[in-house]
Amino acid sequence: MNEPVFWIAPIAALLALAFALVFYRGMVAQDEGTPKMIEIGDHVRRGAMAYLRQQYKVMGIAFAGLAVVFAILAWGLNAQSDWLPFTFLAGGLFSALAGFFGMQTATRASTRTAAAARTSLPNALKVAFRSGAVMGLVVVGLGLGNIVLWFALANALIPEGNDGEGVRMVLITTTVLTFGVGASLQAMFARVGGGIFTKAADVGADLVGKVESGIPEDDPRNPAVIADNVGDNVGDVAGMGADLFESYVGAILAASALGAAAFVAEPALQIKAVVAPMAIAGLGILLSIAGVYLVSTKEGATQKDLLASLSRGVNVSSALIVVAVAGLLWLLDVPNVWGMWGAVVAGLVTGIVVGRATEYSTSASYRPTQLIANQAEGGPATLVIAGVGVGMLSTSVPVLAVSAGTMLSFLFASGFDLSQMNLGLYGVAIAAVGMLSTLGITLASDAYGPIADNAGGNAEMSGLGSEVRARTDALDSLGNTTAATGKGFAIGSAALTALALIASYLEVIRIELVRTGETVLELDHGATITTAEATLNDFIDYFNVNLLNPAVLVGVLLGAMVAFTFSGLTVQAVGRAAILMVEEVRRQFREDPGILQGKSQPDYERCVAISTVGAQREMILPAVLSVATPVVVGLLLGVAGVIGLLMGGLSAGFALAIFLSNSGGAWDNAKKYIEEGHHGGKNSRAHRAAVIGDTVGDPFKDTSGPSLNILIKLMSIVSIVMAGVTVSYGLL
Amino acid sequence: MAKHLYLSLIPEALIASMLEPEAFGSYYAVGMQAHVRGEAMFFELDPDYRSDEFPFGLVDERLVIQPNGAPKRSLYLSIHQVLSRIPVAALGHLYLVTTDGRTLELQRSEYTPEPRPRLHLYQEFCPITPMVVSKLDPHDFSRAMTDPANPIHVPRIVFSELHLGELATDPLRGAAHDLPYSNIAHLRDVLVEMQGNETKAAKLVLKQVKEGVLYRMVQGGFYVGDQTDFAFYRFPSRDELENEHRGWWRSAQVMSLE
Repeated sequence: MNEPVFWIAPIAALLALAFALVFYRGMVAQDEGTPKMIEIGDHVRRGAMAYLRQQYKVMGIAFAGLAVVFAILAWGLNAQSDWLPFTFLAGGLFSALAGFFGMQTATRASTRTAAAARTSLPNALKVAFRSGAVMGLVVVGLGLGNIVLWFALANALIPEGNDGEGVRMVLITTTVLTFGVGASLQAMFARVGGGIFTKAADVGADLVGKVESGIPEDDPRNPAVIADNVGDNVGDVAGMGADLFESYVGAILAASALGAAAFVAEPALQIKAVVAPMAIAGLGILLSIAGVYLVSTKEGATQKDLLASLSRGVNVSSALIVVAVAGLLWLLDVPNVWGMWGAVVAGLVTGIVVGRATEYSTSASYRPTQLIANQAEGGPATLVIAGVGVGMLSTSVPVLAVSAGTMLSFLFASGFDLSQMNLGLYGVAIAAVGMLSTLGITLASDAYGPIADNAGGNAEMSGLGSEVRARTDALDSLGNTTAATGKGFAIGSAALTALALIASYLEVIRIELVRTGETVLELDHGATITTAEATLNDFIDYFNVNLLNPAVLVGVLLGAMVAFTFSGLTVQAVGRAAILMVEEVRRQFREDPGILQGKSQPDYERCVAISTVGAQREMILPAVLSVATPVVVGLLLGVAGVIGLLMGGLSAGFALAIFLSNSGGAWDNAKKYIEEGHHGGKNSRAHRAAVIGDTVGDPFKDTSGPSLNILIKLMSIVSIVMAGVTVSYGLL
Repeated sequence: MAKHLYLSLIPEALIASMLEPEAFGSYYAVGMQAHVRGEAMFFELDPDYRSDEFPFGLVDERLVIQPNGAPKRSLYLSIHQVLSRIPVAALGHLYLVTTDGRTLELQRSEYTPEPRPRLHLYQEFCPITPMVVSKLDPHDFSRAMTDPANPIHVPRIVFSELHLGELATDPLRGAAHDLPYSNIAHLRDVLVEMQGNETKAAKLVLKQVKEGVLYRMVQGGFYVGDQTDFAFYRFPSRDELENEHRGWWRSAQVMSLE
């Protein structure tokens, strides 16, 4: 590779994996605590691994089947890139590996965090946060490492054709882009399956344990308590990790593809535009590693102190990336350096605004959640109405922020020239890369949450002293805040990534048209242009992509419908899986009265198995819906219909995801606010209403909302890989 | 194996058992096979207490080790008007049992009357279960409620005092937002009326407290009394509950949606 700054990417990827190993070893070397703590930790780890085994089994079958289909399409029907079967499998494999390493770390770390909390709060924070950093660094290390590897491989193996180096680079980047489909499908399994598992276990444990039998939270007598703890890991560690792995690789790959397309006629500039997103991601990794070392606290720290220590790492990394990217782009000498830099900053700022807006809408420190708590005095109906209202209102700031970020990044990168579509869309993709550049540390903050939560559960079940529980409670409370902002960040980055993927869709269409021999496009006004030289505007003209085209309009409506149908399916899935858990917990209490008396141990593994099987079964339909819809729409409505579908899915899915996540989060925190003693506190009429609201919101915030991130990205990436089929066999 | 006598208040019954108080509480709240569930409250009686009011002869006859070697868990001696027939002097420790069977033991403590009158909110447990407001302190309230001269009286009474927050001193304007009682407006009205009433001993707020025992709001502790005797069982402070009785305290705060 002739561009020296390219090497930042592979070096940073390797360093990420090396530091992840260092942090992992550091965590494993810590004291595991008492035999009781170790026993509880073992239950959770065994449960988590049993879940992963089952999920990988189902995934293995699905991936093998789809790889065969892709192979037939590629080698039999010549309707796909020959690389697709391999990139697809690699994307899935490495996303799954990231989830596996993250879960191995998180399940070991919670016991050690609880053990460290016996001595001091700073020690406990260090163990929990650095263990979260393992997940963050593994995701970015494997993600960027694979991109670099596939890029180098494609660069070495794809020969230069008759269309010159510029078109070859477009072919390379769009080929590597298919790596995203495997990652995306894996993310769908992890997010939807994990979301159903965690809420089935949570709702099941609460309904029988708390409501029927009067057992408190995290009580070892509850047969579903371990499944509940396992659920925290499969949902918030493996699920969140796979979601952001997909966003991360999707944003970088889309930006590279759009960069290649934007400078197709100028190979010297083109390679800079292709390399820039990878190098920015590499810089982000280096600064994330540095940021991890800034997270520390002192004994007796307040919630504010703890939040400040965590924010210090994230904020310093974000501030430094702004400066470093300016230097990098200047060194790389990309065209319109400051415009591109502005696009990166726009992405970073968008991420921060979306995160803060989420915190405002869901934290009990602010008015919206307090309003919901206030409405609880009127009973469950008024509380639910208030939560729905807050959730709907909460969509405005994130949507405005992403809209502003998109518009600004487009304008900055295009030099405020709206006709420069290629450059503008490259800017949008670069903004997504900017937002995700410090993923190593932001994901560390997210993965820290379930570790601290499980540490609190372990301390409670092990009967540790009040000073230890006070420390784990403080860490857990901090985790709740990072979880809320993390969800907002995941949704915001998914929206920007999906936009970048949709923009790169037309580039893939170009490659497919060339590959299938359609080398000349006849435009509406009778003019012709070679496919290789056509601009995005030419493609929009050729495919008649405008809202008066019924194919586009129908596509938009179908996209919105899919977002709602998908959410409905996942919400109902939680209800069905939770009922199975409720019946199992009731059965165990009925058949062994000694469980409730604390004389015999419940069958924890049976509850984990029930949630696992329920989650795997229930995720099939939503997964099929999200994969099949773009294919069917492509076949029936053609390229214009697919673009409509993706736009409709993105618009409705993005807003719906924010609504579901924030209303659920706000109900959850309204309940906690009441439990602190407001509006009558525990056992009051308001508390009863809040518990109902929280239960309603559970599948919203932890299953359907986050899963919509995957839907909007998966539909985009499936459209991209099936572009050849759409071009070859589309009816319109 | 020791034989115990328990006076259950929720529901009212006299029960003989071979189980120790904690085990009895767990059994009584959770059940063995019938799966009865619900919080409970009972006194352990002086094991030597005997009275013609109850068929104590059955204790020797039926409270024996079971053929399978298990202790006899319960032998009901009476289920009607039990408290009224047992003197305060025969009452030992008080046991509070949560829905999931965790038991907290309260011992008799010395009662110190309050220096000056104020408004009180009482939750009664036996023999009737209303919530009432009174200007009388617990000792005087107990005497007033068991006074035969009063047309509405009971022979003996068990109750606890509940926190009123600012309403105790300012029922009209005091903040009541964070009190868990239902129909706060009615509570306010009753308090205001009682504040200006010099003759009435107590006024009803609720006929029945459906939420069960409001442990989180208990102020001072639990009381049992009649015209001649009075006993006070101090409820642990919040810190003591958190640190020394955490398991019970966590269970006691779990709510039921039923």
